[in-house]
Amino acid sequence: MNKITILNALPRVFAGRTDISSDTWQREVVLERGHVYLIEAASGTGKSSLCSYLIGYRDDYEGQIFFDDRDIRQLHQADWTQLRQRSLSYMFQELRLFPELTAWENVQVKNQLTSHKSSAEIESWFERLGIADRRTTKLAHMSFGQQQRVAFMRALCQPFDFILADEPVSHLDKENSAIMGAMLLDEAHRQGAGIIVTSIGHHMDLPYEKTFRL
Amino acid sequence: MNLIWKLLRRHISAGQLAGFFLANLLGMLTVLLSVQFYEDIIPAFGGEDSFIKNTYVILSKRIAASSTLNGETQSFTDSEIAEIEGQRFASNVGRFTASQYQVYASLSMGGSQMGTSMFFESVPDEFVDVTWPPQRDGEVPIILPRAYLALYNFGFAQSQSLPKLSEGVVSMIQLDLRLRGEGGAEQLMKGRVVGFSTRLNTVLVPASFMQQSNLQLAPSSKPQPTRIIVEVKNPADDAIASFVQDHGYEIDDNSLDAGRTTYFLKIVAGIVMAVGLLISALSFYILMLSIFLLVQKNADKLQNLLLIGYSPARVSLPYQLLTIGLNVLVLILAIAALLWIRQLYLERLWQIFPALSEGPLTPALLVGIAIFIVVSFFNIIAIRRKINRLTKA
Repeated sequence: MNKITILNALPRVFAGRTDISSDTWQREVVLERGHVYLIEAASGTGKSSLCSYLIGYRDDYEGQIFFDDRDIRQLHQADWTQLRQRSLSYMFQELRLFPELTAWENVQVKNQLTSHKSSAEIESWFERLGIADRRTTKLAHMSFGQQQRVAFMRALCQPFDFILADEPVSHLDKENSAIMGAMLLDEAHRQGAGIIVTSIGHHMDLPYEKTFRL
Repeated sequence: MNLIWKLLRRHISAGQLAGFFLANLLGMLTVLLSVQFYEDIIPAFGGEDSFIKNTYVILSKRIAASSTLNGETQSFTDSEIAEIEGQRFASNVGRFTASQYQVYASLSMGGSQMGTSMFFESVPDEFVDVTWPPQRDGEVPIILPRAYLALYNFGFAQSQSLPKLSEGVVSMIQLDLRLRGEGGAEQLMKGRVVGFSTRLNTVLVPASFMQQSNLQLAPSSKPQPTRIIVEVKNPADDAIASFVQDHGYEIDDNSLDAGRTTYFLKIVAGIVMAVGLLISALSFYILMLSIFLLVQKNADKLQNLLLIGYSPARVSLPYQLLTIGLNVLVLILAIAALLWIRQLYLERLWQIFPALSEGPLTPALLVGIAIFIVVSFFNIIAIRRKINRLTKA
């Protein structure tokens, strides 16, 4: 997948509203592989909705969204499964981790599916992100900031053309945020992938080429 | 797979699955038993007598108190036989020929001698649906009524502490026969039972032997038949019944009784099978409810797995394997229980029908496998559909 086109899209709940001034809704937005984008949003402007549309979880919008030239409303479940495994990585704002598994197992749930990374590599990530000692801790017993790092590692355990990180550093300090940013750039560059980060204020420090306001 | 199972096994209710397991086992076992019982028992009633076709009926005169007192003969006269032959329902008529001499049969068993006076009868060979074994010199093949053996086994042997005899054993015993005719003429022979008949209520020997022995031992008496065997075109023909009634004859309608019994058994087996299927269907319903509840309770986890790239097929698999595993276990246990119960009832049945051969197991096994396949198939589809519904918000 080389580009994502959002064409005149608008969440249905916003239909009929006349006060929408947005760089994204009801516009044509093209996101290309190999570039770094920031989507800035205030609360209630439909950020979560946009992410849900892009990952194929919801389709309650007007207008169209294209992956390359294909309208994503036409995609079947099998297509979405393939996309989520091979082309589109997503770090959820609400993380969607499994509290009954350990940090390590949470990452492995994804890596077992894709066989994308070696155990050694994942171990080195735990080291870099400063939670090596929490590997065997049940996720339920970790802080949200620690959980964010686990979710981030899980998102890297797959090949991707685009990575969509929904408020990835909302609970991280500057230092960890910088480490995560460097790892993200590194992985994306290696694959020539595009990065889309959303933020409602405190955002990851990356060389953004374009910022969209929702 | 291990991590997935670790996630998805949460909220599995052992109680619900045990409920399904027992209910399904009961349903499956009921169905299999009804099929197997049907297979085992029907031959005892429905099987055509191998010696006489169902299109043959046997006529005799009714014995009334008056006829015993005034010495009226029970035999058919030539004109009466001619009248029967003239009926439209009859396509062939044969006479029973009785021996005109005394027969004494004895056998030695374990050192003790048993003997009895008896008689022989024959019917024309074309009415006997069996080729008599080639007559060896001095040995007479005999067909006995099956009821005689039952009478001996359950009435006589039981009270006299004598061994019970199976049909096979009886066929191996050689009888010593002493035939005594007019003027003290005597003939010693051997006899061997070659078969048992349910419908022919007589001691049957080959027609050729009867003719020859009557000629040798009782040349002066002319045998009059007391029973007539009639081949009819259609056993259900009303004309037969009214003719028999008008003339005061009796008809042996064994085959009709057997037919009714078979019909009745079929209905009973059908009802039992329907009940079994109903229980199976209800147990299937329990399983589906339990699985749906499980999917609902684990909906978040399932949804998360789908969103990180697991296919619906892959997350359905643990639950599908779980139900198939349960179904396999049910099938195996039901078959094991079937074999055990069958052994129990076969022992009882053999006391009543010593000649009964076991019915085939295949139909019951096929039915069991068919139920397994159908139930598993719908389980798999239902689980998959339920999980597919989680793929969208």
